[in-house]
Formats: sequence, structure tokens, C-alpha cells
Amino acid sequence: MQDSSKPTRRTMLGALGVLGVAAMAGGLAAPRRAAAQPLGLQETGEEALRRVFGGRPMRDGAGAIKFEIPAIAENGALVQTSVTVESPMTPASYVKHVWIVADKNRIPVVFRATLTPEAGRAFVGATIRLGETGDVRAIAEQSDGTLLAVTREVKVTVGGCGG
Amino acid sequence: MADVGKIRIRLPSSIKAGDIVQARTLVIHPMERVERDAQGKLVQRNYSYIHTVTVTYLGKTIVTFETTQAVSENPFFSFSFRATDPGQLKIQFLDTTGGRYEGVVDIKFS
Repeated sequence: MQDSSKPTRRTMLGALGVLGVAAMAGGLAAPRRAAAQPLGLQETGEEALRRVFGGRPMRDGAGAIKFEIPAIAENGALVQTSVTVESPMTPASYVKHVWIVADKNRIPVVFRATLTPEAGRAFVGATIRLGETGDVRAIAEQSDGTLLAVTREVKVTVGGCGG
Repeated sequence: MADVGKIRIRLPSSIKAGDIVQARTLVIHPMERVERDAQGKLVQRNYSYIHTVTVTYLGKTIVTFETTQAVSENPFFSFSFRATDPGQLKIQFLDTTGGRYEGVVDIKFS
């Protein structure tokens, strides 16, 4: 990738950082350095949680979050997940972000979804990769800043992350 | 991979005004994994993977996904939206090589 007209990893990250700052305007009190970094870093799950959430308290979201993920993933390269959070999804109270974090992945943060009240229901899903057996977390941030989390252990037969 | 950027959008067969609709979208994309050399060191290069998925309906953003390489190859994304009026549902994918792929579907009521 020597072509200078193409965005390099660095410029891409910069852009993402700006986006992140805009998205987080009233919310995350993340350290500045973290804001300039991409979501997907090679780090441990613990580091990722500390970097993204900065030690903010997380409540058990078992009652509110429906996290669908197989208990046994035969192929770690393709794991179906979806997250539904109970929420009225009105401008006064809605789910702002949904994260999926796979603790044992070399890149633990899988995605961050940003929702708006127009979604009608706090439902997001994606096919993800899991490197090895471990905990996968679904974390929801409500518009008032409350963090809810649920954790599922997923057994992975064949890992799918390679990296 | 001539098909990179091909998008499919799946909606329920019948949508009524005011419904909360669950939709699923597929994009053909390699979502390259991080490579390591024989010593286990990272190979530094610009990996091609999708970093942003934006869903807009009637010009308004519904959901944005910021994704990493931990999302699978040829990924599916699902989301929901409140079908208030007939109009366009647009899904845009951006990848790290500057690729920009767009899928559009017209929402009609039946």
C-alpha cells in the first residue's frame, strides 16, 4: 500500500478518532489518547474495557438485554450474534450505543453500534469472529449514560481470528 | 474478488405503516485478518476491512456500526427501524482502502 492517495491506516484512524469524539460529545469521558485511537487495537479484553469505558460502573443487564450468541461456536470465523435491549426508544430515553467485546480476541472490541430513537427498537446484530473460547460481553449505554452489561461464555471449536 | 462491495438487503415480505421492521444486510467483503510473520510479529500494512456501516432511512441516520477486524468475512448486520413513511432505506459501507459501497431499497407499504 504505497499509493499515497489511498488513506493510510494512520489517516483512517485519525478520521475515526474525530468521529468518535463527535459521537462521544456528552458521554464518554475517555482519555484523549484513547479518543485518537481506533476501536480495534491489539490488547487484552481488560485493557479494552478500561480504555473504552474508563472504569465507569457497569450494571448487570440480565433483565434488560437479550444477547443471542451460540453457547458453542463450531466455526469461530462466523458467529451469529444479536443484541436486543429493552428500551422505549423515545428521544427522552433510548439506547445510545451497543458494544460487543470478546475478551479473548486479539482485537477485543468487535463493534460499536450507535443508535437513534428512530430505530424503534434497540436491536443490532452482526456476524463476528471469535479467536478462542472465552467470555463475550454485550454492553449497552443508555441515553442517560447508564451502562448495562451481560456476559456469555462461548466455547469455540475452531478459532476464527488468525491474527 | 470481483464481488467485493456487493450488498444484499433483506426485509420482511410485508411492511405496514408504523411497523418496527427488522432488516438484515449482507456485504461481500474479505474483512482481512491481521497477519503475523514466522516470528509471530505483526505484519504492518493497510488491511482492507470495513470500519463504518451507516444505515439511513428517509435521510435520517438510524444506526451506525463502527466495526473492527473482529467482524467476520462477508458480514451480516441486522438492525431495526420504524417504518413511518414510504421511502428509501440506504446502507453505506466504508472500508480502509477507501472503498465505499452503497445499497438502497425502497420501503413500500402493503
